Amino acid sequence: MDKRFIPAGISRCSVGKFLLWLAPWAAMLAFGLYSAGLCLVKGLNQTHMNNRFAFGLWIFLDLTVIALGAGAFFTGFLLYILKLKELRAVINSAVVIGLMCYGGAMAVLGVDVGQPLRAWFTFWYPNVHSMLTEVTFCISCYLTVLLIEYVPIVLKNRKLRQIPSFLVFEHELHKLVYVFAGVGTFLSFFHQGSLGGLYGVLRGRPFAFREELGIWPTTFFLFILSAAAVGPSFIVLTTWLVEKISRKRLVKPAVLQSLGRISGMLLAAYLLLKLVDTLVWLNRTTPRSGFLPAQYYAWEPFGLWILFAELAFFLLPMVILLWPKLRARTGWLISAAGMACCGVAVNRFVLTIQTLALPTLSFDRFLQYLPSWQETGTFLAVLAAGVLVYSFSFRYFVVFPEERELGAAPSAAP
Amino acid sequence: MISEKKPGKICRYGMAIDIDKCTGCGACMIACAVENNVPPGNPGATDLTGITWLRVFKVDNGEEYPRKESVYFPMMCQQCGMETPCYLVCPQQAVDVDPATGIVFQMPERCLGCRYCMAACPYHSRYFNWWDPKWPAGMEKTLNPDVAPRMRGVVEKCNYCHGRWHAARQRAAEAGLKDIIPGDYVPACVEACPAGAIQFGDLNDPASAPAKAAGDPESFRLLVSLGTEPKVYYHSKKEWARRIGDPSRAPAPKEPSRG
Amino acid sequence: MPDTRRNVLKFIGGAAAGAMFTPAPWRLITDTALWSENWPGVPRPLRGEISARYTNCSICPAGCAVRARCVGGQPVSLAGVAGHPLSRGGLCAFGVAGHQLPYCPGRLTEGLVEAAAGAIARAAANCNPDAAGTPAAVCYPAERVAVLDLRPGRTASWTYRRAMGAVKGGLYLTAGGPFSGAAVDLAKARTVLSLGAPVLDGWGTPGNVLAERAHFRLIQAEAIESRTASLADQWLRIRPGSAPALASGIAGALKKAPVADMAEATGLTEQQINDVAAELTQHGPALVLPGDDCLEAWAINEQVGGFGVTVVARTEPPVPEAWTKGCAPVTPLASVADGSIRTLIIDESASGDYIPWGGIRRKLVADNPVVIAFTSSPAGYARHSLFVLPTAVYPETLEDIPGAIDSPRAAFRMAVPLVAAPAGVVNSSEFVAKAVGLDAATALRERADAIRKAARGVLITYADGRSRPTAQVAPDDFWKALNEGACWIDTEAQRAAPPAADWTGPGARPAASPRLPLVAVLTESATAATAPASPLMTKLDRESNLRLGLRRAALHPETARSCGARDGGRAELETSLGKCRIEVVVDASVPRGILQVAASPDVIDICGAGARCRVLPL
Repeated sequence: MDKRFIPAGISRCSVGKFLLWLAPWAAMLAFGLYSAGLCLVKGLNQTHMNNRFAFGLWIFLDLTVIALGAGAFFTGFLLYILKLKELRAVINSAVVIGLMCYGGAMAVLGVDVGQPLRAWFTFWYPNVHSMLTEVTFCISCYLTVLLIEYVPIVLKNRKLRQIPSFLVFEHELHKLVYVFAGVGTFLSFFHQGSLGGLYGVLRGRPFAFREELGIWPTTFFLFILSAAAVGPSFIVLTTWLVEKISRKRLVKPAVLQSLGRISGMLLAAYLLLKLVDTLVWLNRTTPRSGFLPAQYYAWEPFGLWILFAELAFFLLPMVILLWPKLRARTGWLISAAGMACCGVAVNRFVLTIQTLALPTLSFDRFLQYLPSWQETGTFLAVLAAGVLVYSFSFRYFVVFPEERELGAAPSAAP
Repeated sequence: MISEKKPGKICRYGMAIDIDKCTGCGACMIACAVENNVPPGNPGATDLTGITWLRVFKVDNGEEYPRKESVYFPMMCQQCGMETPCYLVCPQQAVDVDPATGIVFQMPERCLGCRYCMAACPYHSRYFNWWDPKWPAGMEKTLNPDVAPRMRGVVEKCNYCHGRWHAARQRAAEAGLKDIIPGDYVPACVEACPAGAIQFGDLNDPASAPAKAAGDPESFRLLVSLGTEPKVYYHSKKEWARRIGDPSRAPAPKEPSRG
Repeated sequence: MPDTRRNVLKFIGGAAAGAMFTPAPWRLITDTALWSENWPGVPRPLRGEISARYTNCSICPAGCAVRARCVGGQPVSLAGVAGHPLSRGGLCAFGVAGHQLPYCPGRLTEGLVEAAAGAIARAAANCNPDAAGTPAAVCYPAERVAVLDLRPGRTASWTYRRAMGAVKGGLYLTAGGPFSGAAVDLAKARTVLSLGAPVLDGWGTPGNVLAERAHFRLIQAEAIESRTASLADQWLRIRPGSAPALASGIAGALKKAPVADMAEATGLTEQQINDVAAELTQHGPALVLPGDDCLEAWAINEQVGGFGVTVVARTEPPVPEAWTKGCAPVTPLASVADGSIRTLIIDESASGDYIPWGGIRRKLVADNPVVIAFTSSPAGYARHSLFVLPTAVYPETLEDIPGAIDSPRAAFRMAVPLVAAPAGVVNSSEFVAKAVGLDAATALRERADAIRKAARGVLITYADGRSRPTAQVAPDDFWKALNEGACWIDTEAQRAAPPAADWTGPGARPAASPRLPLVAVLTESATAATAPASPLMTKLDRESNLRLGLRRAALHPETARSCGARDGGRAELETSLGKCRIEVVVDASVPRGILQVAASPDVIDICGAGARCRVLPL
């Protein structure tokens, strides 16, 4: 029925099947919007956050999805600046995923603040000392960049490109793609870093506080590096997932392996710096602030195991991804990519949730926090919206340019 | 943004609190709430979601009876004088450090409610309005006209009753003086304490109680090693109590402490 | 320029671009922030002239002097009056928010006024068959009319006594206890032994206690780590309910008798009991304060020579001669025969200790007693009453406050109305008086005149801080000053010994049974208080952990585990007298086997001074 909107040379399932696929995600979106609506209308008492746990599930997941969505800028950087041409196969997918990750994060931030209508105050009264000002500016700009990068994907749609002005616009825009890639990389560099800087500058939270390199805490650089390392892994993971769900071959295996190898190399660099940073933090920074490293891991359930888990979740994928024999096998590659994504989630979790759970005053107690259903629902809305937009894009736009040549016998799939 | 320098004496207001005198009666907490138009707790509020600009904790030495000793510990904003964490992290300059008084004051009108300052504060002296503030019918008549009530979604904290400072400046101006009359500016908690445990004054004035406490070896501050230079000096004759401010004191017992 | 659409658009565009270079749009942007700052629902404080008004706080018998900061006549904050000889400038947490009491949610403002007046009049007439206008009334001599006054010593108390004196067989009842006839002189004490009295937590006049604190050594004997116990110089942790045993142990030790049994009962060593006794004699003058469950400890004061020194006879301000003739005597509730009261009027308008309902109920006739409660709270005796009449609360009232327990000098001070009372409330003592045909509308004025006439003592006025001998103040000025915030204090502190009496407590607590393995110990709360409290009190017991909140009970972790209760979980507290719902709080500072529960009227009804209980998780 909608065949004329589907790009030439590829096949997609029937509209009915597509709607059936969309239905549960739409339901999840509706539930999520209701949860978010409750939080906006009734106030943040709908969550389980409190004065001591000022940040909760939302901030943790925001940081994680932004790190995972880093694949968008990094792939763009690799393709357009470093000219790794094989990545053209996944750049569109990366842009869509990046858009959904950043858009979702911004939407959740709009619910997370107590006064969303005052969001423009950060732009009007910016505080040059604050990492959060930097994050707000850069993420807003980068979201704009992502939207601009998404526009050509949309305009290349079979029907839309029949409108001459769209075609011309898209063509002109494409000439500037290197500019946008460069701007995007520059902005991302800063906001990924500032997200790490958010915690690294917290003098009052020695668990998160780090030494400075220049004017930035080390977490600034570590976050950039971990995001750059994990971004490609997330692209690998999502591409594989889409291939599995659509039962099509969408990219040449060499592309995924290339991404895996890049991810592995960056993980190696990250791990080295992370180890150095951890040792400095435990042996110098922490004692200087008057705390003892043992205090950080004296509380159940966050024992010393979490530190080792964090490192293991980066070490194991690094080994796998740098070992060509293992990397060539899909099972190992995907597991490694998945572990790397988990690793970045654990890393963000430790800096957001564990930081706030640990006591600072000597008569404080260790705090526990579990998100409420409204909080979980709001984030499910982001997930559902992402799947919906990606599904829509996958059906009507050319998300994987190599699909045409690889598409041999398509089976019934969305 | 740092306010422009105002003419007159530069003060650094601080507090000296004798925790041996504090009986934990809570009169200071209530006087603070009355003065600053803090609403009564919402029915769903707990000790983690309520608003208590000043909060009294009960802290003990970790021993069992008969060696157990306790003190009551009033805590409010420590008015950090150096690297003020909340001031540095607020994305829209809703926190201002007044150079004339050293008071760190919060502008709820500008606050976005991102709660970054609450994560940054090691003293947990910032409170978020999780609910719309509600006063029982008629009780809004008892609101203090010198302090603006806040609404839901913004952060608030102790500001040493800044409205009283303004009123004292007004009175000094009417009397033709450039500086506040000493003793005319007293925050509500200081005025209310029946034991006289909380004293207030200018750290730049060597005769004031906080200045004297600053030089007293039996006085201590909280988390000094973090480098925030808090301006609240606590005093105790008990040696174990003087280590309350030391972050690596024996970890608090696993069961919650009262307060 | 020709009039084309394009030119018009160009003009508009140019104007818009040019406006960007003017301050206008930038000012407008910041001004739009205003609408985000003032949502509907955020109240606007009153505006008006700022003034100071003075009164005395009538929330408790301490009667602390109060300076109210008023805006347009409405009090917005309260503070103590510095330098006051009785309250020493102090105000407690309740007093500081006293001006918010009229706005307590759930406060009673309506009642069946006429029906209650009729009931009282009929009851009085039933007991006066000789009174004119009575139809064939039958007087049941055993079924009397009584007034239970929870805060005796006021002028209103005299009105009740006069009213009951006018009714044949009328009774004027109080809770009784050693301090009804005695007062404590804390300034003289060097050692204070308290057997559960909350000396540092709402006892006496807080400002006075704290001002004298440095001069005495405080030994607190108590089963739980109360606020006083944790602040005392020495805390003797005794078994719950063993305070009477400790009292007789100390009394025995003072007579050099063996104390082994008492040591066993209290859980202390013999040496500890002997040491306490030695300290009372060697570091005197000593003062012994009994808790509610060990009134017999009162007698130790005589043994250690405290009578006439630290414990003196209580005197009250002069009273008009006419009142003392024919008024009902003061009768302790406990001494009334069971089942002998038909009509009971309870004055709960001024708070005092809440007496468990069981102790009152047994004094009433078995079937259809008529109970009339004057109160502003639905949570106290209103639950047990047939008629509930709403009264004004502080600071709406004009009433005097009896002397505090730690005031050896007689004092007369009035709480004066700072705000208007709502329409439906009644004045309890005037109401009762009128119902029995007595006019007491000017009782306070008459009292003040009698005090002025006696020409003793000094009048302290708060507005100017002056202290003048009474004789030098004109009668009208005397009354006027009392209405504007003042205090009359008698000249000399009493040195007479208090009246001799043997006080016995409520008796031994029942032994533990497998069904009721725990002991309930009551603590002071903030919002569960038996007196009305400002809505801001949630700061102390719900928005912080400073006090135990309404219907909350604390258990040691092991005790909680053995009951199957968890922190924050709902449970049912059951005693032999009844049940109520509670929320469990786990706290390691509570001794094992004890349930520490916030004292509210419904809990006191089923627990009394402390009862065996059990906890059933829900």
